[in-house]
Amino acid sequence: MTIAKPDVALNEVERREGIERLVARNGHIKDLNMDPVTRIAGALAVHVTADLEKGVYLDSHAQATLFRGYEVILMGRDPRDAIFVSSRACGVCGGVHAHAAAYAIESAMGICPPPLGTVVRNMTEAAEMGYDNPLHLYLLAGPDYCEAVIKASNPELWPKAESWPCPNADIHGFKTMAELMTALNPLTGNLYREGLEFTRLSREMVVLLTGKYPHPENVVPGGVSTTLTLQTLNEFHSRLGKIFDYAQRMLAVWDDIPAFFYEADDRYQLVGYLPTNHIDPGYWDDPYAYDATYENCNSWGEKRWSTPGVVIGGELVTTRLTDINIGWEEFVEHSYYDASHTSRYETDPLGNPLSPYHSWNKRTLPKPGARDWKDKYTWACAPRWDRQVVEAGCYSRLLMTAKAQKMPASDFMSATGSSMRLLIPKGETGEREVEWHAPERWNAFERNRGRAYHYLFSQLVALESLLEAYKLMKQGEKRVAALNPTELEKAIPMDERRSVGWWGAGRGWLTHHLVMDKGKITNYQICTPSTINASPRDPWGQPGPYEQAVMNTPIIEDVSDPSKFTSIDMLRGIRSFDPCMPCTTHAYTGDGEVVREVNTCSCGGD
Amino acid sequence: MADRQTRTPTQVDKTPAEELLDALGPVDRYHDYEYFGDFGMPARAMMEDLVVGATHPGRFGPLDKVHAFWFAGASCDGCSVAVTGGTTPSLESMLLGAHPGIPKVVLHHPVLNMEAGAHYLRPAEQAVLGELDAPYVVILEGSIMDEVAAWRAGGYWSAQGEEPWGPEGELRPVSATEWIARLAPNAAAMMAIGTCATWGGIPAAEGNPTGAMSLMDFLGKDYRSVLGVPVVNVPGCPPIGDNFNETVAAILYFLQGFGPLPEFDELGRPAWLFGETVHRRCVRGAYYEEGAFAQEFGDPECLVEIGCWGPVVNCNITSRGMINHVGGCMNAGGACIGCTMPGFPDKFTPFYKRPPGSLASTTVSRMVGSVIRPLRKFSNNNLNREVRWDRQHATPSAFSRKRPGRRHWPTSVTSSTTRCAARATPRATTLTSGASATRPPAAAAPTPASDPDRSPRRCVSKPSRSSSTRTAPPHCAAASPTRTT
Ligand code: SF4
Ligand code: SF4
Repeated sequence: MTIAKPDVALNEVERREGIERLVARNGHIKDLNMDPVTRIAGALAVHVTADLEKGVYLDSHAQATLFRGYEVILMGRDPRDAIFVSSRACGVCGGVHAHAAAYAIESAMGICPPPLGTVVRNMTEAAEMGYDNPLHLYLLAGPDYCEAVIKASNPELWPKAESWPCPNADIHGFKTMAELMTALNPLTGNLYREGLEFTRLSREMVVLLTGKYPHPENVVPGGVSTTLTLQTLNEFHSRLGKIFDYAQRMLAVWDDIPAFFYEADDRYQLVGYLPTNHIDPGYWDDPYAYDATYENCNSWGEKRWSTPGVVIGGELVTTRLTDINIGWEEFVEHSYYDASHTSRYETDPLGNPLSPYHSWNKRTLPKPGARDWKDKYTWACAPRWDRQVVEAGCYSRLLMTAKAQKMPASDFMSATGSSMRLLIPKGETGEREVEWHAPERWNAFERNRGRAYHYLFSQLVALESLLEAYKLMKQGEKRVAALNPTELEKAIPMDERRSVGWWGAGRGWLTHHLVMDKGKITNYQICTPSTINASPRDPWGQPGPYEQAVMNTPIIEDVSDPSKFTSIDMLRGIRSFDPCMPCTTHAYTGDGEVVREVNTCSCGGD
Repeated sequence: MADRQTRTPTQVDKTPAEELLDALGPVDRYHDYEYFGDFGMPARAMMEDLVVGATHPGRFGPLDKVHAFWFAGASCDGCSVAVTGGTTPSLESMLLGAHPGIPKVVLHHPVLNMEAGAHYLRPAEQAVLGELDAPYVVILEGSIMDEVAAWRAGGYWSAQGEEPWGPEGELRPVSATEWIARLAPNAAAMMAIGTCATWGGIPAAEGNPTGAMSLMDFLGKDYRSVLGVPVVNVPGCPPIGDNFNETVAAILYFLQGFGPLPEFDELGRPAWLFGETVHRRCVRGAYYEEGAFAQEFGDPECLVEIGCWGPVVNCNITSRGMINHVGGCMNAGGACIGCTMPGFPDKFTPFYKRPPGSLASTTVSRMVGSVIRPLRKFSNNNLNREVRWDRQHATPSAFSRKRPGRRHWPTSVTSSTTRCAARATPRATTLTSGASATRPPAAAAPTPASDPDRSPRRCVSKPSRSSSTRTAPPHCAAASPTRTT
């Protein structure tokens, strides 16, 4: 199997000109812009040049198309406001932003939440994944594999699906792949409807603790304000039980889909393919190790349920949060900004060198202009780690944790170096051990499968955290926050502080970089997973993950009649990343002046 | 741009919507669908045609079908997420026509639809052209940004698709704001969901660069839909999904001739949902009345001193819950930050601080509470005893703490203050004294101490009555052994 490599040797200008010549000469080469891409959250457009004869995507550009400006609003505000304000950056997973902001504030102010506070946060955030993952799998990505789509764009697959017995039929109950595909139909399909119902169950678990979703009402600097009672824990527990039964069925579905497609056509292995370069800052803290300091972040970071790390070319290169932090840079060559780096900070607080392009040094000099594929075409910036293109995803957590083998001891989860063993506790269905293997090739199918296993992983973290909460309650522990409101107000430092909140979102990586001075925010930078994945070319011409994934995707659908080209293969690739663009924010003023130093470089935008 | 934000309506004779349309000019070119072929339409059919389950309203009302265009301005998609959580009625049941009398609702929603790109925009184009096959409503989530300013600077804030509306017929990004301005005049109703769309919300907070505003401000106060309805507002950040779904359903019930005319208040909010302050139905209201206030995050009492604005905020979350009647800010321990209000967020920041106006009323309730609480405690203790126990002078319960030589029932008001809760009455309690005292009433149902050795003090409880027949005395906080109020 050949893996098409985007031709990055040519410079962008020559490359585009070549493509334009081709498009002008040949009817089978299509240059199309899909705006908007639907069934993703937020505003994304994808431009493709497709050679229908050769069945390849010659070129692709991802564009983030929305600006808001929350960062400007945060500028000069009380740091305590960052939690409620930044939460509104994303309504798909607002809770993660509220938490990341709390971690950033705590680190800047030197307050460490009591164990029960951290445990409640873990429960909340695991439950939040509980509605995020099925929402994506069944409402957003699932329809790409449903009966209606297969019959229309891959009709040759349908007879095969009708006669293909599902290996996991005894678990999910669909005898053939065709039955399963019918259940994926939007709105009418059983899997679609069941997925939606289970998102509701998890949302109930979230609001038991937060009062409200997607924007939680209970996150405070130094902990949570949840009034935790035995009833809260019991209600959480009763819902979690149903989820484990459901997880068995979910895994069975997302194990069978890749098996069917790989068997039907080998080329499906290349849909949305990217080399194994992943990054993740870890998720869900050890309540006894986490101390809110940058100094000790490598030791408490490695004790997270999901281990932080970077994997390049399939090899784990680090699990240290400081490495992850100092390798981080954001470029704006192809984004509507002027050069945005400064050299305000040359080192991190521990003396490690920092690039002028690091988030703490980033200023935003927005400069809107015409869209030009050779030059600037998106509001998204290009984050890179060690100047390499990396991908973020909730499934990256499985990869890091599996490879690092540093996860806390658990009765339900263990890492083997190349896989994660997960024990699904009994519900109505009996107990079952499942294993997720790091895939050889990351493609659309493996991302979706990984997301399903991540659902289980997160729910097992919810279970472990719930058990910890019961234990703490038995011990009479009831403190959920380090400080009361009066102490909190007094604790706001007046000197200059900077910090970072490392956390995760439904799509993986999430960081909030904060600089504060005289008790006010002076710089606030959010970097979200979709920023990373939707990034444009960097200064070295390396396309961002969506762009590369599209260019690696073969056109498998039947395009003998060019007007029948739906681009389903590309859509499967793009949607497998779970693009989430709402926190895409871009800034400029009417007269093109700099309006801020604070910037939200969020889900796909800047 | 700052001057554009601070202008008063009297300083301009046009609404922002009219201004935008004047700046952009009329449009007359639309997508060439032949050029696109099936690009972006993997099922080769529009969502509407895929949803075969949708039924017709049968014998009800004049409407067979309604299109609903969902646009996102400066939004976080949280409203969409909230709406997908709603269950009375649920989104899918509305779309599938699962309720008698509800017409077929054809939703055009970027997060849900099968078709993408140009095809996704086709019905919106038809609506602009006046060629749509049924009436339509427009739903906006997120604030309207001042695209006039952006247009003059050669760009846009937020785009939802592109159309051949450039000067030479070239494609240009079309902002959500522009779609709204073009669709509003012929809409059956314009609905704003969430605080960003209803009042500007966080994108319109002090210091924002985009000139973000509400749908109401954008269309102007004289706006009426073709049915004569001003902008309908369902606020909340996020809104409760069911508040929106129910409002849509209520409007449809009315249009179909069987529901009453839904009432809206002077700001266009559904009056039956937003007529009350959230404090009035707050689960912690009685603590306020008795002057018991949380001091630490996580405390079970009234949250006003740790930043709750509930007494002056229109919201129904404490009675409706967030989803399926579960959750609710104060129910879980979150203080109200006024997220449904036009003054949100600037009139409520900094957060986690007591509202400045609350001092007078909390002082009064502390005074009143100091009298009322002991009296209630007394009566409560009395009612927690069978008449037979009174005669026997004993509480025949193994959970009852044995204190030889002491009477096990209160004899006077004085015995029922701070000390009594922990020892003299069969009150609900849990394992540890401190924890028990800070539990809210709903959860502090009589619970046998499962691990009495851990408990520093054996507590009394009543095993003979289940929690469903009686909840615990709600006054325990006042009698907390760890804290006197
Ligand atoms: S918590 Fe807020 S809404 Fe509830 S009683 Fe106290 S002040 Fe009122
Ligand atoms: S109680 Fe307050 S913060 Fe909570 S939803 Fe209602 S208005 Fe918003």
